[in-house]
Amino acid sequence: MRITHSMLTVAMVCMVGGSLFAAQDPPAKNPLEGNSDAIRGGMGLYRARCADCHGMDARGVRAPDITQVWASGRTDAGLFKTIKEGVAGTEMPANPRVQDAEAWQILAYLRTMAAPAPTDPPRGNALNGERIFRANCAGCHRVKGVGGRLGPDLSRIGVARSREAVLLRIRRGTEGFGAGFEPVTLTPPSGPPIQGVKKNEDLFSVQIMDTRERIQGYEKDKMKSVKDDTKSAMPVFGADRLSDGDLDDLLRYLQTLRGFDPAVVP
Amino acid sequence: MHARTLRFLGLGLVLSAGAAALTAQQTPPPPLVTAQEILDGLTPDGSRWLTFGGNYSNQRHSPLTQITPANVNRLVPQWTFQTGTLGNFETTSLFRDNVLYVTGPQNVAWALDARTGRQIWRYRRELPPNLTACCGLVNRGFGVLGDKLFMVTLDAHLLALDKNTGAVAWDVAMQDYKTGYASTIAPVVAKNKVIVGVAGGEFGIRGFIDAYDAQTGKREWRFYTIPGPGEPGHETWAGDSWKIGGSGVWVTGAYDPEQNLVFYGTGNPGPDYHSESREGDNLYSTSLVALDVDTGKLRWHYQFTPHDVHDWDSTEVPVLADMTIAGQPRKVVMFANRNGFYYTLDRTTGKVIAAKPFVTTTWAKEIGRDGRPIELPGHTPDEKGAPTCPDITGGTNFWPPTFDPATRTFFVNAREACMTFYAWKPEYRAGDRFTGGAGQRAQGSEQVYGALRAIDPATGDRKWEFRYLTPSTAGLLTTASGLIFSGDAEGNLLALDSREGKLLWRYQMGAAMHGTSPTTYMLDGRQHLLVPAGTTLTAWALPQ
Repeated sequence: MRITHSMLTVAMVCMVGGSLFAAQDPPAKNPLEGNSDAIRGGMGLYRARCADCHGMDARGVRAPDITQVWASGRTDAGLFKTIKEGVAGTEMPANPRVQDAEAWQILAYLRTMAAPAPTDPPRGNALNGERIFRANCAGCHRVKGVGGRLGPDLSRIGVARSREAVLLRIRRGTEGFGAGFEPVTLTPPSGPPIQGVKKNEDLFSVQIMDTRERIQGYEKDKMKSVKDDTKSAMPVFGADRLSDGDLDDLLRYLQTLRGFDPAVVP
Repeated sequence: MHARTLRFLGLGLVLSAGAAALTAQQTPPPPLVTAQEILDGLTPDGSRWLTFGGNYSNQRHSPLTQITPANVNRLVPQWTFQTGTLGNFETTSLFRDNVLYVTGPQNVAWALDARTGRQIWRYRRELPPNLTACCGLVNRGFGVLGDKLFMVTLDAHLLALDKNTGAVAWDVAMQDYKTGYASTIAPVVAKNKVIVGVAGGEFGIRGFIDAYDAQTGKREWRFYTIPGPGEPGHETWAGDSWKIGGSGVWVTGAYDPEQNLVFYGTGNPGPDYHSESREGDNLYSTSLVALDVDTGKLRWHYQFTPHDVHDWDSTEVPVLADMTIAGQPRKVVMFANRNGFYYTLDRTTGKVIAAKPFVTTTWAKEIGRDGRPIELPGHTPDEKGAPTCPDITGGTNFWPPTFDPATRTFFVNAREACMTFYAWKPEYRAGDRFTGGAGQRAQGSEQVYGALRAIDPATGDRKWEFRYLTPSTAGLLTTASGLIFSGDAEGNLLALDSREGKLLWRYQMGAAMHGTSPTTYMLDGRQHLLVPAGTTLTAWALPQ
């Protein structure tokens, strides 16, 4: 085939256009993450533009809790797009006036509310931490598709919670329960009580995962009692059960857990 | 004359003859919707539901008695209609001559065959892509008169649609949506006027209530909810704050034909939380205004929350009734407010007859003899945060209450919730969010709950309550057979005994009735219950 001048011109325009377009694509990762000036600027922007609906602490008022967006698998680039373009058909508006740098600042600040960056230098041995996890935690918690289901999946805990928050959870047990993990005991008319965690509830029924990981719904009026437990199935790991050194190792391991891609490569 | 023209003429004759034959076989079309019909409201024959609240009084109390406390548990679904759109219903459907007229989210609207739920026509408005309507791309219902339906739009227009085809008869822009104006309200059609308001209290608008000629769409009057220079009340706004002070009107008012007045609740002043720029009472925000239908002139006003700093719009539904209080016949307007107080006002003067908290309320001790709240210190939002009850959403909100005149009981879905309110100085940019603060769930706020509460309007005292697991945002319906219909936030449609609050029947709808009330009417001799929930509309009746 003879390559003509006009074909070459078209190809060049396409290439230039393509690279221009690529230059306009947002980076996949927030270029301002961890930048203290950006976080400070982002706080002001967040409060002016987002807090009224998403709450001062981003845990949701009239709009959803957005502290767990990374934990639920959203990416920086996806969130950037959401800020700029909104969510069609919902109350989340497009923000055409928000500059790219401002959107990244908002995300840098939001990230600190999701999982504040540790101020201390990292310590502990992640490899040993993984062994400790498998021995003590994996019965109830799942990581990368392996482990129990009674407690929350921890595959993204490293981006979802600060080291300090996880430490408190391990040392003190639970202080409040996440949605879907509130412990409950159902007492049927006959037979032993059924213990589990609540997956859903209304005035008339409750849907649970019991301690054998069976999911099942129950009508409340068919039970002798339905009692919200105050104590979680999550044991307290005091220094007697987990030394400070082992705790450091475990936390180091958990901080490495930054997501799980379940895609199967054929 | 060309041969083609002759053929056209021939076809015309055939069509005319066909039309005549059809006409001869069919019953004549029903007469146009008259002002008298709307004035008559809900009648014992159950033949219509023509206004947002059933009657101009907004009582949402049906005279129908076929469905009773004894048989309500036998209700069966007749059909379910799905919107096929994003977003949820917040609408009250109109019913007449076996047809339902329904507005949905995203400014889609339908005429439905009430026997089958099948669509007769569908209207969809092309909305601008850069719309920033607060709070929800919703619509709360049609108004109707003659051969026209009236609907406001998210880009702040008012439309008249042909009732039989859904075609636009006229379209008038109320204000420029690009500067933060939107509209979601169900119109009041009083006399020959279509009365509507605008939303946008979080976007620095200057709120107003408009009246338009139902035939032509010509604007008859405008009442600004923030008085301009030289008008009484203007002095309650510091500097230029009146220009961008919010005070939207997004919930349907009531109409008193005897006094020729419409009563509308008004929204919060803006910026919502940081209020240094708007020192003063900020009239007529968070108020009830009584306007002359012919002129739009203010007859009286009552401000529930002077200088509001908690985003407590008074855009709840005003309910009118006549009753004897302390031996005196009184014409009242009942109002359960987002600020946590229930009020009974004299609707001829705007004076308080009774006012009492109907939920936990920490910002004010009581309503003083002069009608002003006696406020308690420590509830002005700042950068450190001020814990206050109720929360931003309030003790109640826009979901319709109901009133049963037989038992003289006002019913409302109430919320028990508190919040820490923050404020900081905002910068105004036209069309941008302009609130100057935010809230955060207060410690222990997991304990929030909701309840259906029955209130004696003479005193504000509670007669009974039915507790929900979490706060409900459903509207209500009562019937003369002693039923009250509600919904919970978990998606249950509920029927209770309206005298005692005893639960009689429930059905899981799959979505909460957010801001919607059931309505009821007679169709082919059977009482129907119509329930908008999420993206569905379901009709119920007793088995045949």
